Amino acid sequence: MWRVTLRGIQGHLVRLLLTAAAVMLGVSFVTGTFVLRDSFDRAISGLVAGSSAGLDVAVRGTEIAGGDGARARLPLDLVDSLSAVPGAARVSPDLRGVAIIAGSDGTAVRNSGAPGLGFAFSDDDPAFTLIKGRGPVGAGEVVVETVTLDKGGLEVGDRTRAVIGGETRHVVITGEVEFGVLFGATAVLVDEASAIHSFARDGTVPSFTITAADGVSQAELRASVAEVVPRGIEVVTGATVDAENESSVQQGLGFFTTFLLVFAGVALFVGAFIIGNTFSMLIGQRARELALLRALGASRGQVLRSVLGEAAVVGVVGSILGMGLGVLVAQGAKLAIAGLLGVDIGTSLPVTSSTLLISLAVGTLVTMASAILPARRAARTAPVAAMRGDTPIAQKGLRRRGISGAVLLGVGVGLLGLAVTREDVPWVAAGIGSFVAVMGMLVGAPLFARPVVRAVVWPFVVVSGVVARLARQNALRVPRRTAATASALMIGLALVAGISVLAQSVKASITEGVSSELTSDFVLSGGQSPVPPQVATEASKLSEVSSVAAVGLVPVTIGDFSTTAAAVEAASMPENFTVSMAEGRLDSMEGDRVLVDRTTASDNRWEVGDVLPATVGTLGAHDLVVGGIYEDSQAFGTHVIVSRGLYEDAVPSDMQTDLQVYVAAVGGADQAQLREDLDAIVSPYLVVSVMNASEFATAEGTAIDNLLNLLYVLLLFSVVIAVLGIVNTLALSVLERTREIGLLRAVGLQRRQLGAMITVEAIATAAFGAVLGTVLGLGLGIALQRGLEAQGLRTLGIPWGLVVLMLGASVLVGVLAAVAPSIRATRLNILAAINRA
Amino acid sequence: MTAAHVAERTQASTDRDDRAIAAQAIGLSKTYGEGGALVTALGDVTVEFASGQLTAIMGPSGSGKSTLMHCMAALDTPTAGTVIIDGTDITHLKDKALTRLRRDRLGFVFQAYNLVPTLTAQENITLPMDIAGRRVDAEWFDTVVDTLGIRDRLAHRPDELSGGQQQRVACARALLSRPAIVFADEPTGNLDSRASAEILAFLRASVDDFGQTIVMVTHDPSAASYADRVVFLVDGAIVDDIVKPTMAVVLERIQELDRPRAEA
Ligand SMILES: Nc1ncnc2c1ncn2[C@@H]1O[C@H](COP(=O)(O)OP(=O)(O)OP(=O)(O)O)[C@@H](O)[C@H]1O
Ligand SMILES: [Mg+2]
Repeated sequence: MWRVTLRGIQGHLVRLLLTAAAVMLGVSFVTGTFVLRDSFDRAISGLVAGSSAGLDVAVRGTEIAGGDGARARLPLDLVDSLSAVPGAARVSPDLRGVAIIAGSDGTAVRNSGAPGLGFAFSDDDPAFTLIKGRGPVGAGEVVVETVTLDKGGLEVGDRTRAVIGGETRHVVITGEVEFGVLFGATAVLVDEASAIHSFARDGTVPSFTITAADGVSQAELRASVAEVVPRGIEVVTGATVDAENESSVQQGLGFFTTFLLVFAGVALFVGAFIIGNTFSMLIGQRARELALLRALGASRGQVLRSVLGEAAVVGVVGSILGMGLGVLVAQGAKLAIAGLLGVDIGTSLPVTSSTLLISLAVGTLVTMASAILPARRAARTAPVAAMRGDTPIAQKGLRRRGISGAVLLGVGVGLLGLAVTREDVPWVAAGIGSFVAVMGMLVGAPLFARPVVRAVVWPFVVVSGVVARLARQNALRVPRRTAATASALMIGLALVAGISVLAQSVKASITEGVSSELTSDFVLSGGQSPVPPQVATEASKLSEVSSVAAVGLVPVTIGDFSTTAAAVEAASMPENFTVSMAEGRLDSMEGDRVLVDRTTASDNRWEVGDVLPATVGTLGAHDLVVGGIYEDSQAFGTHVIVSRGLYEDAVPSDMQTDLQVYVAAVGGADQAQLREDLDAIVSPYLVVSVMNASEFATAEGTAIDNLLNLLYVLLLFSVVIAVLGIVNTLALSVLERTREIGLLRAVGLQRRQLGAMITVEAIATAAFGAVLGTVLGLGLGIALQRGLEAQGLRTLGIPWGLVVLMLGASVLVGVLAAVAPSIRATRLNILAAINRA
Repeated sequence: MTAAHVAERTQASTDRDDRAIAAQAIGLSKTYGEGGALVTALGDVTVEFASGQLTAIMGPSGSGKSTLMHCMAALDTPTAGTVIIDGTDITHLKDKALTRLRRDRLGFVFQAYNLVPTLTAQENITLPMDIAGRRVDAEWFDTVVDTLGIRDRLAHRPDELSGGQQQRVACARALLSRPAIVFADEPTGNLDSRASAEILAFLRASVDDFGQTIVMVTHDPSAASYADRVVFLVDGAIVDDIVKPTMAVVLERIQELDRPRAEA
């Protein structure tokens, strides 16, 4: 029987290659996702280790309660007593702050989203190495990190401007350094005196880094350092810092890793679909041959074993190829991530043995599992029956499957609907509901094939008549197969649609909030970078300006409620924002009297006049008074508003930067002129820009777009694989219909018409997947938005443009998928095709 | 088959003896492979088929009957020689023109697998017309369908039809576009004697009643006796050509032709 297996493989080489290609695609999806995930993990560990080069012991202030990880600062002169510690080879105060440099085009050098950092230059700092030029001397010289230099089109020796610690300076670039790890940030380095001037203006620094002398362990050094520092100062080892950093980065990227995991799950699933689909077609086509074997005396078991053996060979070969392709896919994704987010996650591609094992197991087992059912069917068919009949025609018996699909879909949608409309959304139930709904859609898909395919093909039927009708019949010939082929695309596009509904809703909510609550004429903002306090001061001096509201942020803990509060001058608010007071008066906010939004007040049962024990910024044990309660506001996005007076007490002066500065013009002022004047004020600060309300809303939304683009790239890979899946199925079904195609050509179907027929069939399949995926994705996205309504996602945004684009693109996908199978079909020799057994 | 029947038919075809030529092969050759493995399927065959006649082609297996048919029906390209269909020399036509020729001026009936499985009988019958975008002559459609007795089967798919019904649907398709000539390669090869008789009677009737030209390959002497003329092929060459054959004559010729082979 083994000889039969081998001969089987030889005799059906093309079909088997196509099947192996399906296995390869499925497996590559799985391998690629896992490799990408591991790359991220490794990159994170590498980054964390690299970021603490030379750090054996860190000395830092204690965490401020409720300060979101903010710490008390330490006096700079602590350096003397630290240097005296035995075993400390090098002690350096962490002089760092915000620094931005202008590129050769005069605009700020930015790396999308990542901050611009400034450091003190020191020859022996292990965090970076000088690769060109020399260190900076005096306020007019800087050294720039190599990627930053490159991005700005700058070179050592160039003159440019830099904003360092809020001050604009004309500088000469004297050198170039390379950092071990910078997390994509830009970096500018100044000499120590300038660093102290810019980043430690009040004589404090956040921490000190101590490098141990040879032969001194981190723990020993930590112990000796702890003896000399005053109480209330933390001394931790580098290992502890690494662990903290790693967990915080992991947490920050948690969303992304979760997404990759979900994606891997989807990958497994879609891969299994493609493989199962292809193999069942293969066995179906061989039903006759298997029946002949049976007629010649082979037992059922023998036939079954022979088929399974074949499946195993195909599975293993396909899996091995798939692993290779998967690594390439991961590499492509990495390039995309580097290009889109500017995040370099390293050049190595970690292919772990567990990745390989999972991939191999998935590929082989899924192939064998999907071979079992059709093989058993084939083994059981009476030889005579199988010798008859040719290709499978529209099967019946979809009813049971349709009903189970509909029931699953109903249960899933119901559960999801119930979950997201609850006050306190049970997300686990919502997740289960979504999953069940997706399963229902997959199971029920064959039932939807008829109406959707009919609708999609209708315009083609109008135009080209019988050719499109033939295509439609072909697409509906085996609805299960069409559905399985389309499902890969369906899943991919459902994710795209769902995510973009969410993103669009975020943007719509922002726009809505901005337009309904913002009354100022201009917003001055530095995006991720803070706005120096001088901006607000200068803006308020302009004659066209009626009111300037500078908004700073400060961590506040009241009782056990911790939040970040906005710090604004009460008098500047009415002209710049719509704030409606529920209780108390807006101008009662002064000193320790603060404003609280209605939800927070009622959750905590606070009332106007309550005196609450609190900490604000660096101020511990400080009583606050509830001065007023305002209606929940989008404009601030904070739950508490404090006065500027309190803010100035609670935040070290060099940290008193503004998040945004709002400017309201006097009535009848020339807006264009005002804008020009404001531009003149902000231009020295490089990163601060002047926006009107609608520009501001758009800018807030672009941060989301960056993340979105990354997800789209990942999903694009699933779409590519889905396309290849369609190509594969189509190629197999062309093979399966060889005689029929020969017949059609014999009775007068032109090559062009044959190509059109296959193309329309592909379009029907792709569009079917796209329609189902879009519906599913929109549904899930809308449900998510409803669930997140209380979290501020108040406005539903449907990305109609994207929906149209996806449906349109699916047509293109169909056209592309049909190219190879069409060429193959049109090249068939008519006679050979007709006479084929 | 009664003697009267045969006599009547012979009379009818005599009237059309000097008809125009529907299809013609001149010096037609077809070889496969080369060198030692060279197979000559057709060697310098010259034959013509008159309009309004039912011609049968007979000969032992492997004698080149199908090859001749395929070359003449623009399904295969001959190695040498010329094929003229309905006045057109098709030897140098491109695929597109050949396809149009098959669609508009030729009809086919194969031994099996004649129908597109996803289409109903009716859709299969009108397929070439639909492909061409031509309007179906409803009256002619009714005539053909009724003559073949498949009206109540029109909405069925091929897998719901018996072999004989499938062949009748194929005949209807071949005739619907009123082609210059219909080629049928063993149209009754898969059928029992009753079903074959029905198909043959229909082919005969379409020649007699509608003036259709038909060329049919067959192994069955009784099928040949429906024809106006029988052409015998042996080893790719025409060895005999009998006008107004009877079953007895045909049988006799077959035995004669087989004898030298059997002895060799
Ligand atoms: N594609 C091909 N390659 C090589 N030889 C071929 C090919 N097609 C036909 N032949 C050979 O050409 C010769 C004639 O074949 P053809 O099919 O015309 O015979 P036939 O008279 O129709 O036979 P049958 O009655 O069995 O159908 C045979 O010897 C056959 O082996
Ligand atoms: Mg033949």
